[in-house]
Amino acid sequence: MSTDALAASTGTTSREATARAVVTAFFDAYRAQDVERMVDLCAGNANFRYVPFEVWAHQRVLHGDGKVRTVGKPIWTALIDAFPDLSNTVRRVRADHDGNVAVEVDIGGTQAKDFGVIGCNGGRYDLAHLFLFHVAADGLIDDIVAYWDNVDWKKQLGWLEVD
Amino acid sequence: MSARTVAREFFGHMETGAVDKIISMTAPGAVVYLVPLDVRGPMAAEGARYLRELASAFPDLLIRVRRLFVTTDNTAVAEITIDGTQAADFLEVDNQEKHFDLDQAWLLEVAPDDRISAVTAYWDQNQLYRRLGVKRLDNITITAR
Repeated sequence: MSTDALAASTGTTSREATARAVVTAFFDAYRAQDVERMVDLCAGNANFRYVPFEVWAHQRVLHGDGKVRTVGKPIWTALIDAFPDLSNTVRRVRADHDGNVAVEVDIGGTQAKDFGVIGCNGGRYDLAHLFLFHVAADGLIDDIVAYWDNVDWKKQLGWLEVD
Repeated sequence: MSARTVAREFFGHMETGAVDKIISMTAPGAVVYLVPLDVRGPMAAEGARYLRELASAFPDLLIRVRRLFVTTDNTAVAEITIDGTQAADFLEVDNQEKHFDLDQAWLLEVAPDDRISAVTAYWDQNQLYRRLGVKRLDNITITAR
């Protein structure tokens, strides 16, 4: 479904309604583990930042910061690979008239493989996230930022090291 | 006053540790949810306790508002960076006088009378622990010098 059609299905084509519909479609695709669809809802050069995503390697720190296609897509793919039943429940969507959207969403799954420093113990997690989107006038997401708490995540999966 | 102005005033008071002024901006019965601390309750109690501890532990606190927008339900959504040098124990982390900076996101629900009715905050406590030298999550007082 196109982004215009998504908005039309809500009965209005306001900027706010379009943004809400696109973001809702994004989490529907994430729940369906359809990474291609998630990416298709984003502009070609959409920005991506997972604020808590820091991997401390020798001599450097890797951040979850870059573009949806080059940083976001590999992270989503790796998450779904490590947590094959990964799903989400959207709790609240707030939007303004300029394409900004804030989504409080719970994301969770059962670990089947190591993910980063978190070794696989077969644990399950369910974690509150805040996603901030910007949806451009053409109905494509051009910015994604997310916040969550890695302490809660690690503890649920039985990993007790900070790094 | 707009919700945007309310939010800027809120973070200005947070930076200077003016907790009483923050509480005076809230509605009676205003609630707070500090997600990474799993702290929920009245803003005047739980919220004030956290803000006072933050102010006393980081007397040189700086807050930079990086992004701010107001949604149609009059919620101010802010991305901020807090920045300071530890001068006292904070959230059970021993004081090692380390400098830290931390990105956070805050949601301030503003009522029609410009009073804040609900506050929700997200950040990664693991980043905070890392910057303050904590090594293990099951004993956060074990720190690296």
